[in-house]
Parts: sequence; C-alpha cells; structure tokens
Amino acid sequence: MRNRASLSKPSRGLVASVAAVLAGAMAFTAVPAQGASTPGVSDTEIVLGMQLPQTGPASPGYNKVDDAMRAYFDYVNSKGGVHGRSIKLVVKDDAYKAGLTVSTASALINKDKVFAMVGSVGTQTHISVIKDINRRGIPDLFVNSGYSGFYTDPKKYPTTFGGLGTYTVEAKILGKYIKETFSKNTVGIVYQTDDFGRNTVEGLATAGVTFTPKKTAATFIAGTQAGGLDAQMQQLKDNNVDVVIVGAVASAFAAAVSSANKIGYKPTKWIVISVGADATTFQTILGARGIAPAVSAALLAGTISASHAPAPGEADDEFVKAFKKINDDFNKGPDKRWDNNVLQGMNIGYLMTSALLGAGKDLTRPGIISYVKNNAAKLSSAALSPLGYGAKTHEAYTGFWIGQYDATTTLKPVDSPRKVWTTDSAKGPVTELKYTRPAIAADALPKVG
Amino acid sequence: MKLSISKSIATAAAAVLVASIALVSVPAASAAAPTCTTAAGVETCKGTLANGATYEFRMPANFKGTMFFWEHGFKSTYPGVSKVPTGIEEITPASANTGSDITKQMLLAGYGLAAYDGTVKGLRGWNNTFRIEMLKEVIDTAMAKYPKIQKKVVYGSSQAGAIITPFVEKYPTYADSVGIMAGITPSPADALQSACDIFYILSVFADPTIKGCAAFGVKGVPGHMASLGELQKVVALLTAWSKNLGAPGLEFPAALKGSGIPQRSALLLTGLLTGIPTKSAHMDGITTNAVIAEHSINATVAILENLGEALATGTLAAQSASEITGPGFYDNTKTNWASLLDDGDAGRYNLGLSGDEAIAGMLGVLSMAPRVTGDAAAIAKFKALDKSTFASTKPTILISNEADRLVFAGNSSRYVDKKRAVYEAELAKWEASKKGPKPIWNTLALYAMTPETYTKFTAAGLPDLAGPVAASGVGHQSFTTKQMKTWVDMLAVAAKSGKVPTAKYVEYIATKVPYLNGDTDYRPADLKYNFG
Repeated sequence: MRNRASLSKPSRGLVASVAAVLAGAMAFTAVPAQGASTPGVSDTEIVLGMQLPQTGPASPGYNKVDDAMRAYFDYVNSKGGVHGRSIKLVVKDDAYKAGLTVSTASALINKDKVFAMVGSVGTQTHISVIKDINRRGIPDLFVNSGYSGFYTDPKKYPTTFGGLGTYTVEAKILGKYIKETFSKNTVGIVYQTDDFGRNTVEGLATAGVTFTPKKTAATFIAGTQAGGLDAQMQQLKDNNVDVVIVGAVASAFAAAVSSANKIGYKPTKWIVISVGADATTFQTILGARGIAPAVSAALLAGTISASHAPAPGEADDEFVKAFKKINDDFNKGPDKRWDNNVLQGMNIGYLMTSALLGAGKDLTRPGIISYVKNNAAKLSSAALSPLGYGAKTHEAYTGFWIGQYDATTTLKPVDSPRKVWTTDSAKGPVTELKYTRPAIAADALPKVG
Repeated sequence: MKLSISKSIATAAAAVLVASIALVSVPAASAAAPTCTTAAGVETCKGTLANGATYEFRMPANFKGTMFFWEHGFKSTYPGVSKVPTGIEEITPASANTGSDITKQMLLAGYGLAAYDGTVKGLRGWNNTFRIEMLKEVIDTAMAKYPKIQKKVVYGSSQAGAIITPFVEKYPTYADSVGIMAGITPSPADALQSACDIFYILSVFADPTIKGCAAFGVKGVPGHMASLGELQKVVALLTAWSKNLGAPGLEFPAALKGSGIPQRSALLLTGLLTGIPTKSAHMDGITTNAVIAEHSINATVAILENLGEALATGTLAAQSASEITGPGFYDNTKTNWASLLDDGDAGRYNLGLSGDEAIAGMLGVLSMAPRVTGDAAAIAKFKALDKSTFASTKPTILISNEADRLVFAGNSSRYVDKKRAVYEAELAKWEASKKGPKPIWNTLALYAMTPETYTKFTAAGLPDLAGPVAASGVGHQSFTTKQMKTWVDMLAVAAKSGKVPTAKYVEYIATKVPYLNGDTDYRPADLKYNFG
C-alpha cells in the first residue's frame, strides 16, 4: 500500500486540489458546446499550416519555400484577401525528423486550428502524418513531394493532393530521353533505397531503362549520404558507367559529385531527378563543404534534369516576372534570392489562392477538397503542364520538359522550341504535351471559373 | 538499460518452491463482516470475501455520495519477474514510475474508496471470470454497509480492462461510470498475439532456440518455469544489445548472414511489426547525436528499452492465459508479416531498417521461415477470452500513455472503435424507428503524451538510460498525480451526469493538466491484430 491517507493535515496543495475539483466540476457543464464550424476559418481569416525543414542538414534551399508562399499570401492579403478573408500561414519546422513532423502536425491541428495543410515538404516526413491528416478530413493540399504513393490511390488518401509531378512521371519522361539520347552509353544509377528511389527506378524501367544490381545500379540508404558516396561511385566507375542517373535528394547528388571528383571519376553526363538537382540547394550544400560558387556552378553545368515549371532564370516568362516582383516586394524571409525554391513557393501560394477562390465564400474542408478534385482545369498556375487531379488520381503536374544546366546554373531546354512531355504514374506512354498555359492576370491574382 | 528482470529470473526456481508450498496451504475462507476503525476523519474497514480474498473500504467523513471501486491489473501466480502479491496492492491508482497514488487526494475530495485482493484460491494470473464475481461481491458488501452511496464508479488498470468491460455488461446496475486506465481491451488475444510474435521474430533473426509461446500452455509451476526459460533467452539478447546497440551484422537466418544488415535493424523491425512504441522512458524517437545519428536509431533504442517489460509481463500474461486455453494457442501460419509493417513506418524508419532492400530481405526470410502451427481448440479458446459485447452505455473514460510499453495505447482506440460500432448500429436502429431515447455516445479516451524531446546523452555520447524518465506519456500505469486526479474527477462527474465530458471540456482541462492531450480525436497506432 502506498501513501496512506490522512485528513489531519491537509496541505495547501490538497486544498487547492479540492477547489480545482469544484471548479472543474462546474466547468464540466459550464463550457458551452460549440456549434459546428470550420476550423481555421473566421469571417476575416483563413489559417493554413505547413511543415518543412527550416533547420538541419535537409533545410538548404527548401527553407525558402515557406517564405515565398507567405510572400504571395501577403500580396493577396494586400489586395483584399480571398472572399474578404486574409490568409495566415503558420509554419512549423520539423528539421526533417519525422518525430517532429508528428508533434508539429498535432500543434498545427489542435493549437493553431488550421483549416488545411498546404505545401508541406518532404516524403519521409509527410508519410508519418498523412494517414492522420486524412483520417481527420483535413485538406492536405499541394504537398511538395513527388512520391506517387501519396496521390495515385485517392481512396487511401482522399484529402491529399500533390504539388509536384511524381518521381515516376518524371523518371518515365527522362527515361524516354535517355533511351533516345544515350543508347550507345553505359547508363547507371545511384539511388536511395526508399520511396523516392523506388519510384525513380520504376519509372525508368517502364521507359525501358534498366540496370544490373550491384553493377550499374548503386544504392545507399537515405540519410547516410553525409558520409559520402565513394563506394557507390567506385562501383559505377568500375562498371564503366559513363551516364549516371541520380534518384535522390540534392544532398546526395552533391555527395555523389564530390565522391566522383575525389576518386577521379568523370561521367560524361549526370541526369538528376529535379528535386535533387535544384541549383540553390546543390550550391548551398557544396558551399558548406568549402566549395566556391563558381566551382559548384561548373560542377552542375551540363547536368540534365527536368521541370514542370519555367526555370527561374527565364526572365521573360510572365509568371516569373510577376512572382519575382512579388518576391521583391513582400518576401520578408532571411534569404529571398530568386531561385527555383522561391518560384515553387510562389506557385503553391498562387495555386492555393485559386483553390480558396474556387471553393467559394462558404468555405468548408469537404468543399475545398471536392473543388480541387473536380476542377483541375480551372486551377491555373505557373506550370507548363496541367494538373492531373481527378477521381482516379491526385497527382499534380503530369508534364515535364527536359533541360540542361548552363554555366550560370540556369536550366535550359534541350529542345528548341521547348517540348513538354506527359505521361502517367502507371504504364501509359510518354507523349508530347500540347498545353497552353492560361495567362497570368495583370494583378497577378488567379481568376477562377 | 534496465534489465533487472534477469536477476529475478535467476532466483525464480527457489521462489517457486516457496510459492508451491503457499499454494497448498491457503485455507478455505468464508465471508466475514468487516472490521472498521476510524482515524483522521476516515473510516477504514477490512474484511474478506467468500473465497477468502481481502477487501478494504475507506470512507471519509466528508463523503459526497460517490464510491470508487478499484480493480488492479495483472500479477503472476508465481514469482520470477515481479512479486506475487499477498494482499491488496493499491486502494487507488498509483504511478508505477513514482510510486505515488492519489488516495489522499480522493479522500479529500469526499470520494469513498474500495479495493480488493484479486487472488482466487491462492492464484492470480488470468482469473478474470472469478474476479467479475468478486467485484460484484465487493460492491454488494459496500452497498450494504453504506446505504449513503449514491453513485458507483468502477475503475481499474491494465488487465482490469478485460474484467471491468464484461463486468458492466453482466451487471449494468453496478456502475454509474466506468474508468479504464492503461487497460487491455477484450479480446486480449489481440495484444497477446503480438507478444508471441516478438518471440517468433526474434527466433528467426537472433536465436533459433527460442520457442516462445509455442512452449507455453503447461499448467502450474512447470509451465511457468518453461515460459521463464523462453523469456531468459530474450533477456540474454537484450543484454547483449544493450551493450552494443545491435551494431553487429545479422548472424541469423543463414540467408542474411553476411548481408551487412545490422542486428539493430531486425530489432527495429521486430518492434514495428509488433507495435512496440518507438518512444520509451528515455528515448524520444527524435533526438540525435554522433552515436545516435538518426531519429530511427533513437527509436530503435526506445524499442530495446521497451522490449524487456513488454515481453516480461507479456510472457507471464500469455502463460497465464494459456492455462485456460491449453497449449497451442499461438499460431502464425496465416500471418502476413509484410502487412504488419505500416507504410508510414517503413518510410519514417527507413534508415534504421537499413533501406528498402534490407526491409525486403528481412520480410522475405520471415515469410519463408517455418511457421508455428497451433491447436485449433486452443486457438478458439484464446480468441474467445473475455469476450465482451461493448454494449454498455455507462459513461466510460479511458486513459492511456502515448508510449505505454506494455498495454499499447492502441488498446484504447480499439476499445473506442468497438464501442462506436455498437453505438452506430443502435443509432441506425433508432433513426429507423424513432422509438425510445436516442442513443448517446458515451465513451472518451484520454491520452497522456510525452514531452516533444527528452533524450539525454552521457558524457561518452551514449543514451543516458539511467537518468530520470520522461515527465509523462511513458511506462505502464505511470501517470502524474494531476493526470490521475483529473481522470477520477471526470469519472465522478460522469457518474452523476450520466455522460462523459464534452470535447470542449477536455480541451479546456488539458490546458490545466500538463501533457494531458486535449485532442479527443487523437488516435495512437493501431493494434496489429483484431480477432473480433
């Protein structure tokens, strides 16, 4: 028996406890039941939540996306908001640690009472919360991950919609290009053995680009690349691979390039899935290793990658022009240098504004999910590809164009004029996309309907 | 790493002999009137039930009409891992972490208290059927002694979930509200199957001599000793892993020897396939340093820290249950191991699992490994243990730790699911007829959460597993005083109102009680099995 009771000497704490009970009992009935209302939506405001690595090894580059999104929302707010409501973006740093993704999601849902999640960054992190977000019926919009498993089975994740094209679609399109361009080369791959890498290999295989395990296919476990990828590069070198595909995040691409340099391995071509080839991220990571920007730019030059949107360096593109101006005027982040991450953040902000406009003044969670699912054609954005949302898939962009980095770290189309290719995340063919992007309005606000 | 069970097991044999003697010397008891004394404003009455088990009442002078009847959790009949109780263990909920109960607080609040010794003819173990009747006898005795009792709260911990649930269904007038703390949800086979899976998976990856639950089912001391023998093999593994953190490569099975997959990946997989929490008393599943280089490694150490208690008590409980079912209750011939690995876990802990190729390799050898074939009759009895209808409409409030290493928090959500299925069926019936009172939803699950991060490291950079445990959310039946008191206060009010608190109230009260989750829509990881 523990702590035998005595009423002879009640402590102050215990007296307080009794009082608390009484207060609690009263409060039990005194707290009024709330009528049904949509969390995160008031007459004047819509609260949105976002998770991404703002700190830690995975943060370089990606940590600019939220500031760009907020800048676009601030611009929208300066124009009167959406249906009279201003947009508030609450951002949580998960440092790319899934445990923090879980706890910060809880905070966004229960403390910040967000209406929807928007633009969250990361596959391994988002996979830790996607089930719970969907179970609660919270819109999980425009996720910054290309993992097809989040989107291709809407019955599994009905509230989740992509913000990028899938890794599978991109790999299929790159695969077609590789088959046509490098048929005389020995093509190999280095990929991370997780959802990202698996998507990449599957997409390439569908396009007819396959590899021999332990020879032309080198693997690593995501998260171990900080120690270098020397063994993987040595393996590819030993097997005479001269075209190296990278199905991995930017830190791994940087590690692969460093390791290849270290062992004197000079592939004729690097081909990198777009999220791994972001120039800012690549240069930031190499910069942290003491490699000067000019050197890292030279290392990146010639690398093949793909994109669903115009390159940030396309100064004449009307979306680039408009977003760049908004970035200059409204971005209050610590690093507002214009790049692919900022463009993507702006684009997600634009897309979200479109969705909020389209869902109407009577904003509900089921309402916006239904709107996004059924009105992909009305949701315009900076992308050079339409959105794939529909009853059968929640994939975002189904088209990519292929480009090559020049010496100024700008991705330039390999075709002239630029060709955009489209396919699905299954076994469909890769075909040329004929799509005319709707123009951006003079006020740079989306027009829906 | 706290692996004190090892020492206990070493002395088990001698202790069992003593217990055997005690078993035959328990006298036949008969009900006796309680003997009462009063001190410091509290009347304490002690008596014995018809079967000789003792009970105790505490009645404060400021009694406000509500009596709480406490049902304790599992204890083994035989020594070896924990002490065999010799009387009433607790009269109110007590934290296993701190040893503090809330007797003083409850008496001050004017609640009457009752508890009893759950021993039946000298035996504890899985004696739930008997304890349902003993609990009724305790309540009958209290009601006879104290006609001033207006409301009865039946509440208990752990194993009590599988006692109280069928109890209120059999005797609905004996409770005005129901509290289940860290409770196992009937069917207990759902949880015990995972405990048996732990043994099996470890037999594939770490020690082929482990028979696990396939060795259980012999009655009495021999069966108990056999189960401890199995446990001892796992303790040896845990002891080794606590020193090397599972860094060496897999030695078993032969197909994976030399694969480069570290043993810790198999340990992590074992935890993820069986639902062991990825947070523990000292490991938060997040914090990293040079040694614990990634969050999934932190989670692996958490599983290592949790595994000892999970399996120690799981062994005793499974062996006790097997005395009812007979040998062969465990069968995994139809288990789809790959389906037990959640997609999210495979992604989140990918590095700790050594990547997709290693995951595929480990799941592959598991699928090919010889299975355990059980006995049909024993399996049927196992799945039928403590069957409940979940039809009680009494206000029911559960409380669980987010990272309970023994009775996983998924028991609470399973309980809610089962209650909800009955409720929705009743509601549909009512909607069709509009006759009688409209069914109300009357179940609430509370959760005590962990701090976001709390892992500390020693000067050598190793996880500090000897320091203070997390402030909340870990361990079994380990809650803060404030959390426990809040729970009983809610039960008292629910007994009077006939309803559980509203979500709004829970959200409000959570702001006053550290680490109590105010999110009534929170759902922990699901249990791996559902035998219906």
